[in-house]
Amino acid sequence: MGYEREAGGRGMSYLELLNLAAPEAIIALAALAVLAADMFALRELELHFRLAISAMISCVGCVAAIGWMLALPEHGNVMGGIFIVDPLGQLVKIGLLVLTLFTILISLESNFTVHAGEYFALVLLATAGMMFLVSTADVLMIFISLELTSLSLYMLTAFDKRDVQSAEAALKYFLFGSMSAAFTLFGLSLLYGLSGSTSLEQIAASIRGPRLDPLLVLALVMTVIGLGFKVAAAPFHLWAPDVYQGAPAPSAAFIASGSKVAGFFVLARVMATGFKGAEGSGAWHGYLPGWVPLLAVLAGLSMVVGNFAALVQTSVRRLLAYSAIAHAGYMLIGVLAYGGSGLASLLYYSLTYGLTTLGAFGVVAVVQQQTGGDRLSDFAGLSRRSPGLAICMMIFILSLAGIPPLAGFVGKFYMFSEVLRPGSPGMGLLWLVVLAIALSAVSLYYYLQVLKQIFVAPSPGAGTWVSVAPVTQQVVLGALALAVLLLGCFPGWLVQRLAGAMAPG
Amino acid sequence: MMMDWTARNLWLIPVLPLLAAGLSALARRRHRRFSAGLAIGSMAVALLLACAAFATAVRHSGTELSRQVVNFRWFELGDGWVRLGWVLDPLTAMMLVMVCLVGLLIFIYSVGYMAHDENFGRFFCFLSLFASAMLGLVIANSLLLFFICWEVVGLTSYLLIGFWYHKPSAAAAAKKAFITTRIGDLAFLIGIVWLYGQAGTLLFYDAGQGCLDKPALAGLATQITSLGVVVPTAIALLIFCGAVGKSGQLPLHVWLPDAMEGPTPVSALIHAATMVAAGVFLVARVYPLMALTPAGSHSGAAALVVIAWVGALTAVFAASIAVAQTDIKRILAYSTVSQLGFMMLGLGVGGVAVGMFHLITHAFFKALLFMGAGSVIHGCHEEQDVRRMGGLRKFMPVTFATYAIGMMALSGVPIFFSGFWSKDEILHAAHAWSMSRWPFYLGVLGALMTAFYMTRQMCFVFFGKCRLALRQTPASEQGSVALPGIPAPEHPQVEHPAEPHESPALMTMPLAVLAFFTVTLGFLGTPAWPWVQSFLEGEHTALNVAGLWRPGVLLVMLISTVVAFTGIGLGYWLYGRDPLDLQQTDVLERRWPNLFTLLRRKYYVDEIYEWTFVGLNAWWATACDWLDRWVWEGAVELIAALVVGIGWVDRVLDEQVVNRWFDETCRSLSTSGGLLSRFQDGRVQKYLRVLGLALVVLVLLLIWGCRAS
Amino acid sequence: MTPLNGYLLISALLFAIGLAGAVTRRNAIVVLIGIELMLNAANLNFIAFWRFGPQPEAQTGVIFVLFSIGIAAAEAAVGLALIISIYRHYKTTDLDRIDSMKG
Repeated sequence: MGYEREAGGRGMSYLELLNLAAPEAIIALAALAVLAADMFALRELELHFRLAISAMISCVGCVAAIGWMLALPEHGNVMGGIFIVDPLGQLVKIGLLVLTLFTILISLESNFTVHAGEYFALVLLATAGMMFLVSTADVLMIFISLELTSLSLYMLTAFDKRDVQSAEAALKYFLFGSMSAAFTLFGLSLLYGLSGSTSLEQIAASIRGPRLDPLLVLALVMTVIGLGFKVAAAPFHLWAPDVYQGAPAPSAAFIASGSKVAGFFVLARVMATGFKGAEGSGAWHGYLPGWVPLLAVLAGLSMVVGNFAALVQTSVRRLLAYSAIAHAGYMLIGVLAYGGSGLASLLYYSLTYGLTTLGAFGVVAVVQQQTGGDRLSDFAGLSRRSPGLAICMMIFILSLAGIPPLAGFVGKFYMFSEVLRPGSPGMGLLWLVVLAIALSAVSLYYYLQVLKQIFVAPSPGAGTWVSVAPVTQQVVLGALALAVLLLGCFPGWLVQRLAGAMAPG
Repeated sequence: MMMDWTARNLWLIPVLPLLAAGLSALARRRHRRFSAGLAIGSMAVALLLACAAFATAVRHSGTELSRQVVNFRWFELGDGWVRLGWVLDPLTAMMLVMVCLVGLLIFIYSVGYMAHDENFGRFFCFLSLFASAMLGLVIANSLLLFFICWEVVGLTSYLLIGFWYHKPSAAAAAKKAFITTRIGDLAFLIGIVWLYGQAGTLLFYDAGQGCLDKPALAGLATQITSLGVVVPTAIALLIFCGAVGKSGQLPLHVWLPDAMEGPTPVSALIHAATMVAAGVFLVARVYPLMALTPAGSHSGAAALVVIAWVGALTAVFAASIAVAQTDIKRILAYSTVSQLGFMMLGLGVGGVAVGMFHLITHAFFKALLFMGAGSVIHGCHEEQDVRRMGGLRKFMPVTFATYAIGMMALSGVPIFFSGFWSKDEILHAAHAWSMSRWPFYLGVLGALMTAFYMTRQMCFVFFGKCRLALRQTPASEQGSVALPGIPAPEHPQVEHPAEPHESPALMTMPLAVLAFFTVTLGFLGTPAWPWVQSFLEGEHTALNVAGLWRPGVLLVMLISTVVAFTGIGLGYWLYGRDPLDLQQTDVLERRWPNLFTLLRRKYYVDEIYEWTFVGLNAWWATACDWLDRWVWEGAVELIAALVVGIGWVDRVLDEQVVNRWFDETCRSLSTSGGLLSRFQDGRVQKYLRVLGLALVVLVLLLIWGCRAS
Repeated sequence: MTPLNGYLLISALLFAIGLAGAVTRRNAIVVLIGIELMLNAANLNFIAFWRFGPQPEAQTGVIFVLFSIGIAAAEAAVGLALIISIYRHYKTTDLDRIDSMKG
C-alpha cells in the first residue's frame, strides 16, 4: 500500500522520518517477510509448520517494534502534525502491538485457512494502519490509515473461504464500511473547505463562536459516522453482530480489540483537537449543539441497544458483539471526559477491554473447534471438560460485567469518576453515568447466562469429542486472564504510565 | 502515635482464608482432607489474630488509640491517589471475632454435613473465598475497598447458593439472589461515586481528612441538591439502598427465602451470620454520614428515619410470613429477614451500639438454629417439611437441646438468653424515640409473632409423635405401585430405616459451642452492665444494677417478657397440644393397609392448612370446652386469626405481587431486547439506510439546537 | 453565484445520486458503484475548495484527491473480490437474499 513512500516522500529529512517511523516500518517489513517466506520457502511444508513459522516471523516483528519503542523513545512532529511521535502515542502503539501478538498466538492453532502467510501479513498490515492512525493529527493521514486498517480487516473477515457466513459477513462489513468511509471523506472535504487545511489544529482554529455553521455540523456528523463505524457505536453498529459471528474467531477478536483501541484514540483526538471550540453541552437542562451532546446521544443509544439486544442472543459471538456495542457506549462516555486525565481513563478502559475481549474470543474459538458451534448450549459443561478454560472465561466475563476487583471494574470506576470530576466538561452528564450504571446491571443477566452454561448446565453427551484444548492456546488464554486480573488488582502500573505519558514535556 | 502489631498486620486476617481458597482450588478433587484442613486451619489462625485484635481494641478502649488506621496508595487517579486501607476500631474488632468464630464453627460443621458430597473440595474453596471477602469487608477503611469486598461476597454467595447446580431451583435462586442484590448495589455505587465527587476521598478515617471525619461531614452538611434534599442525606439513602438489597429488607427481600436452596451450612454462613449482616454493618460503619443533620436544622436525620421505618415494617412483614411457612429453612429465612429488620430499626432509633449488639447475638443464635435445622434435615434424610417431622426430641437430644436454646433466644425469653437483652435494647430505644411511637408498636408485634412461629416450629419438629414414617411408607411402595400425588424424595432413601438419627459429633459439637455463646453473650449488654454498648462508643462502664430498675427500662422489659411468653403460650396452645394431628398419626400407623384413605385425609389437612386455616381454628376452638374460659378463648382466637390472616395476606402479596413484578420486569426486558434484535434482519441495505437516516437525524438535531440557542 | 457554489452543488447532487443508488439498488455491484460515486463527489469537493480557496498555491487538496482515488481503486478491488466470493456460495449478488445471519 506504499504508506512508507508517502510518509517519506513528503518529509524534509528522510533519515529523521525513517527514525521516527521505524516501528511502523518494522511491522511493514515483517508483513512482507512473512509473505515472501510463505511464498518461496514454506509452500511444501505441512500447514502446521507454515502457521508456526509465519507466526514466529510476525511475533519477531512485533517484539522488535515494541523493543525499538522501549529502547529509543522519540519525540517528533513532522510537517505540522502529519506524523507525530509522543510518549502517549508510543504507549498506545505498544498496547496495540501486544494485542496483535496475542491475536497471532490465538491464530496459531486455527484450521480455517491454508494461506498462512497472507493471513499473518494482513494482520500485520492492519496493525501498521492502526499504528499510523494513532500517530497523526492530520485528516489526510487519518483517512488513509483508517482505510488501510479497514481494507485489511475486510479481507481477514472473509478469510474462511469455505464458510458462507464468513463471506457474507465480509460483504456486509465492506459495504457498510465503505459507505461510512464515503461519508467521512465528504465530511473531511467540507472541513478542508471551511479551514483550507487538513491539519486538525488549523481546522479547530477556523471554528469561531458558540454558534455552529450548518456546514460544520454536517462535516462533524459525517466525520463521526466514519469513526463511529470503526468503534461500533450505535447506530453505526449494524455490521458488528454479523461480522463477529461470521468472521473466523481470531479475526473477530482482532476487530473487537485492536481496531477498537485505535478507533477510540483517534476519535478522542479528532474531537478534542479538531473540533475544539465546538463542544456544546450535553447537560440535562443545558443542551447546546456540539460534539459532546452528539457523542452523548450515541453513547446512550449504544448502551441501550447493546445491552438489551444481548439479552436474547443464543450465539455467544453475537452476545459478545452486542456486549461490545454496549462497551463502546461506556467508552464514548470516556471520550466525553477528554480534558486532563480523562484520556488516560479512556485508554486504560479500552486497552483492558481489548485484552478481555480478545481472551473471550479465544475461548470461543477453542470451544468452536471442540464442538463445532458457538451457541450458548455448546458451552454447557465446559467447566468439567476443561476447567482451566472455564476459569479463564469466568474472569473475562466477570471483567466485562464490571465485577471488582477485575480490570473491567477499575476501568469503569476510573472513567466515570473522571467524567463527574468537577471541572470536567462531562459534569452535566450525570444522567448518562446513571444510565450506564443501570444498564450495566441489566448486562449482568446475559453475562451470567454464559457462566451458568459453563458451570451449571450439565454437559451434553460427555466424551463424544476430544476435550483437550491445545496447550499453546491454554497458555495464551491463561496469560490473558492473568493480565486482566493483575491489571484489576494493580491498576497503578498502567494508569501511572498513561498519566505520565500525558504530562506535557 | 504508636501502632500496635495487630493493627499493622490486620490484613493477614482476610488474606489467610484467601490463600486457603487459592491452594484448595489447585488441589485435586480427591484431596478432601487437604482442602478442609486448609480452610479450617486458616480460619483458626484468623480467629486467633482476630482475638488479638479484639484484645488490642479493648486495651485501648476510650483512648485516642481506639481507632487505628493504616492507609496505602493503590493507584493514581488524575492528580490524586486512590487510597485504600484498613481500620481497627471496636466495631471492626467485634465483627472480626464474630465472623471468625461463627465461620470456624460452620466450617467444622460442614465437614460433617458435606461428607458425602462429591465436590467437597470445591465447597471449601468457595467457603474460604467467601470468608475472606467478608473479613476484608469488615476491616475495610475505604468505601471502595468495602464495595469491592461487598461484590466478591455477592459473587461467592452466588456460587454457594447455586452449589447444587443439578437442582434447577438452586440455579434459579442463585441468579435471583445475585441480580436482586445488584439492584441495591446499583444505587450504592451511584452513592459512592457521588460521595467521591463531593468529598474527594472514599477513606472513612484519614487523620481528619476521611469522609467520615468531622471536617468532611461539616462540609457535606451545607450542600443542598436541586430537589431540596441535603446532599449527605441523599448519599446516605443511596448507600442504604445497597444495605437494603444485601440485608433483604423490604422490598428487596425476595431473594433471601429462595436462597435456602443452597446447602445448609451456606444458609447458616450467608443468611445468618455474615452476608446479610453486611448490610447492617454498612449502615453502622457509615453511621456518622447517616446521622448527619443539615446545618441549621433541628429535626432528626432524615436518613435514620427512613432506616427505622424500613426496619420496623420489614420486621413485622417477614415475621408474619414466617407464620404461614412449612419448610423448616424457609421459616428461619423469613425469621432472618425479620430480625434484620429489628437491627435496622435499632440502628435507626438507637444508634450503632443498639443495632450491632443485636447483630452479634443474632449471628450466634441464628447460626445455631440454621445448623440445628441442618442437623434435623440430615437426621430425617433430607426432609425439610416440618409437618412431616415431629417427636425428634427423643431421637436427637443434643440437637433438640441446642435448638431449644436458640429458639428461646430468638423468642426473647428473659434473663438467660442473649436475644432477650439485645431485642429489649432495640424496643427500649424505639420506645424512647421522639419521632413516632409506631415503630415501637410494630416492634412489639414483630416480637410477638417471632415467639409464636418459633414455638410452632418447635412443636412441629420436636414434639408430638414422629410423622416421618408418613413419607417413608409410600416411598417404599413406590417401587411397585406408582402413587401420584406424593412428592418423590430427591435421593430415594428406601433402604434407610425410617427412624431419624442424631447427627455425628462433628456436627453437634459446633452446635454446643454456639449454644454456649447464645446464653453468655447476653450478659455483656444488659442495662445493668452495658459493656458492649460502651465498648462500641468508647466509654468506660461499671456494674450498675440500678440500671435495671429505671422506669423506662423496666417497663419495656416487662412488656417484652409478656410478649415473649404470650407468643410461646399461643404457639403451644395451637400446636403443642395438637391432639388432631397426633391422633391422625396414630391412626396412620395402626391402619397400615388402608393407605389411600389416609393419604386423602393428609391431603385434606394440607389443603385446610394452606387455605382455610382460620376456619380450622374456629372449628377446633368450638370443639373445645369454650364455655369454661370463653374470655381466654376469645382472645386466643382473635389474635390467632389476626396473625394467621396477616401472614396469609402477606404471603400472597409476596408471591403474587413482588415476585411476579420481578419476573415481569425480567420478561419485559427480554422482550424489548427481542424487538431490538429483530431490527437486525440481516439485510445489509437496511443497515445502509439506517446509516443515511442517522446522518439526517443527527444533523437535524444539532441544527435544531443551533436555532434554539 | 460563484463558481465554487456551482461545483459544490454538483458534488452534492453526485453524492445524493450515489447514496440513492447504494440504498435502493439490490445488486451488490451497483451498490458498489453508488459508493464510488459518493467518494468521487467528495473528491470534487476537494478540488473545488482547493481551486477557489484562499491559498491555491498549497497543493493539499490535490494531494488528498490523488490519495483518495488510489484508495477508491483498492476498495473497488477488495469489494469485487468479496462479491465474487459471495457469488461462489450463493450464486447471486442480490443483497436481499444474503441474510443468513440476523437477530
